[in-house]
Amino acid sequence: MMEFINFYLIPGLALGSIYALGAIGISMIFGILRFAHFAHGDVMTLGAYGTLTAVWTLGLHPLLALPVGIVFAVLSVLAVDKVFYKPLRELPTIYTVIASFGVALIFRSLIQLVWGSQNEVFIRGVQKPVVLFDLLRVSLLHLEAIAIIVGVAIALHYFLSRTQTGRSMRAVSDNAELARVAGLDTEKVVRATWIIGGSLAAIAGVLAGLDTNIQPNLGWNLILPMFAAAILGGIGKPMGALLGGMVIGLVEELSSYPWLTDEPLINPSYKTATAFLMMVILLIFRPQGLLKGRLF
Amino acid sequence: MKKSIVMAAVAGLLASTAMAQAEDVKVGALMDVTGPLASFIPPLMNAANFAIKHVNDGGGLLTGKAVLVVGDSQAASQPAVDAANKLVNVENVPIIMGALASGSTIAAATAVTIPAGVVQISPTATSPSMTDMKDGDHLFRLVPSDNYQGEVLTKIVLAEGIKKVAITYVNNDYGVGIATTFNEAFKKAGGEVTAFEKHEDKKNSYRSEIATLSKGKPEALVVIAYASGSGSKIVKQAIEGGFFSRFIGTDGLRDDQLIKEVGADALKDSFFSAPTSPDKNDASAKLHEMFNAEYKEGADKPFVDQTYDATFLAALAVEKAGSTDRTKMSQALRDVASAPGEVIGPGEWAKAKELIKAGKDINYEGAGGSYEFDANGDVTGYIGKFVVDGETYKQIAIFQ
Repeated sequence: MMEFINFYLIPGLALGSIYALGAIGISMIFGILRFAHFAHGDVMTLGAYGTLTAVWTLGLHPLLALPVGIVFAVLSVLAVDKVFYKPLRELPTIYTVIASFGVALIFRSLIQLVWGSQNEVFIRGVQKPVVLFDLLRVSLLHLEAIAIIVGVAIALHYFLSRTQTGRSMRAVSDNAELARVAGLDTEKVVRATWIIGGSLAAIAGVLAGLDTNIQPNLGWNLILPMFAAAILGGIGKPMGALLGGMVIGLVEELSSYPWLTDEPLINPSYKTATAFLMMVILLIFRPQGLLKGRLF
Repeated sequence: MKKSIVMAAVAGLLASTAMAQAEDVKVGALMDVTGPLASFIPPLMNAANFAIKHVNDGGGLLTGKAVLVVGDSQAASQPAVDAANKLVNVENVPIIMGALASGSTIAAATAVTIPAGVVQISPTATSPSMTDMKDGDHLFRLVPSDNYQGEVLTKIVLAEGIKKVAITYVNNDYGVGIATTFNEAFKKAGGEVTAFEKHEDKKNSYRSEIATLSKGKPEALVVIAYASGSGSKIVKQAIEGGFFSRFIGTDGLRDDQLIKEVGADALKDSFFSAPTSPDKNDASAKLHEMFNAEYKEGADKPFVDQTYDATFLAALAVEKAGSTDRTKMSQALRDVASAPGEVIGPGEWAKAKELIKAGKDINYEGAGGSYEFDANGDVTGYIGKFVVDGETYKQIAIFQ
């Protein structure tokens, strides 16, 4: 039982938190701007490298240096939106989707130019796990990741339901045309979307970097499960993306637990496939996703 | 290190975009600059550039200068095909050095260089499946096949008194090749394999895989993966979870990156096997001295010898062929690499050029071995046993 919690459940929740943080941004951007933002993984990478630079220069713990990474990622997405996405906004969204592919490549190449292509680590060496009552054996980072996602969930719910900007965002997401006619400043809403999406992506990037290492493909390698999470949760619904991320992360890790016999239920090398299979099956029966997302 | 790789990339870019002077000769290089082999690359890029520098300092290639054109094969199939395509069809190189990873080498060879009839010399690819490829004598390599490394690793593991291991390997040409040969050799020699599981590269968490591998109480975990890919993550997470404390790795894992991420302390009981240069080798000593004088560091890094030799051999083959005619390259390469002939060592370009001009046969004896290619373009070679020593690795035994 403890083995299940230590090596399957908690890592699954932590992985799910990383997916969820990325997926919220993807889902929000899709809701407001109506396009799939393929550069989102690389925004995560930018956040991680921004934080890494702060760790190097200021000597802070990565989580304390996180604000630097967040600011860096947010400024980057705002600049990219102004230069690349805004001029394309009146065109069919496929143009912006392809542009975001280009932006992804630009980000990755710039990262390689500035920081090099080799792997970096925030903290060297093996991190001793936290051992409680001789039973619970968990990585501190995983507890931090889970705490962060709980905090983000509460803050996001409050933001979307109680604040003026949050309500405007929901309005634009539901019907952009109507919201504009009603006098909402859509550009302001767009800006808020990028700020929130960029911040959460930076946090996800730092958590992923802490869990393993930092390299230019860090975020790009996570983009598929994050999109899966956004779609599973109902695209355009931030809270759904959060839920979807947790589900994908948990399914990946739990599918290889020896549920029935002593052997893993599904061979661990198929765990990514398992998560996607589950997404496909769920969408067949519930095409709008967990939380009634957008349908076409 | 960082700066040099950027410079090399920029140099590659300039070389490929600027109009080369009419008489300059391009030598293609496929390097896995980004991706899971990234941390190996900076000294290897220097090694390739160093060989080209020797060529140009020693009188140049054919009637002009040698220009290295680098393509990034990213240690993955699709990028390798793209990069090879560019070298073969856009840059029109007569011969290609690379790639490094088995996966990218095989992909580039099957899809591009073999159909186009371009000779490809990999300094590092070890996959056994390359031996039997129908390559029309176009695919060569400078390290022994992993059929051999698998057997040597079996000997090393048993000599350490380890009888029971779990094996995890990355699901690509490199991982599957050596894992299969080691698995067979180890069982045949009386060892017990409690688990034999492949894993996917590029994941963040391997904890459930490791939990599965630890069943059956193996004494050590054999990790066949690239350190910058899944290797370091697996070792780190296995130690953090308290599953394994002893690891056995191959050349992909024997990377300073592993020590950087895991720490030397945690690896003090672990050991590694990798292709290496022959013991007490004058050519290697000479190259290392010249290399460190030029670049200050890095001559002892993995595969520097082989990468230098592969680039030098590629240039020698072009010189021997007397033109950039692709059809002459494989015969020319065999001529310059194999006995008989006057022996040429690293850096002796002027001498080699002179001899070729005089119509004499030459035999390149490189820093990494003598490279007598067999009918499949393979060589016999040396495997070393390595342990962690501070921030890097120390070779403590050598097998031929």
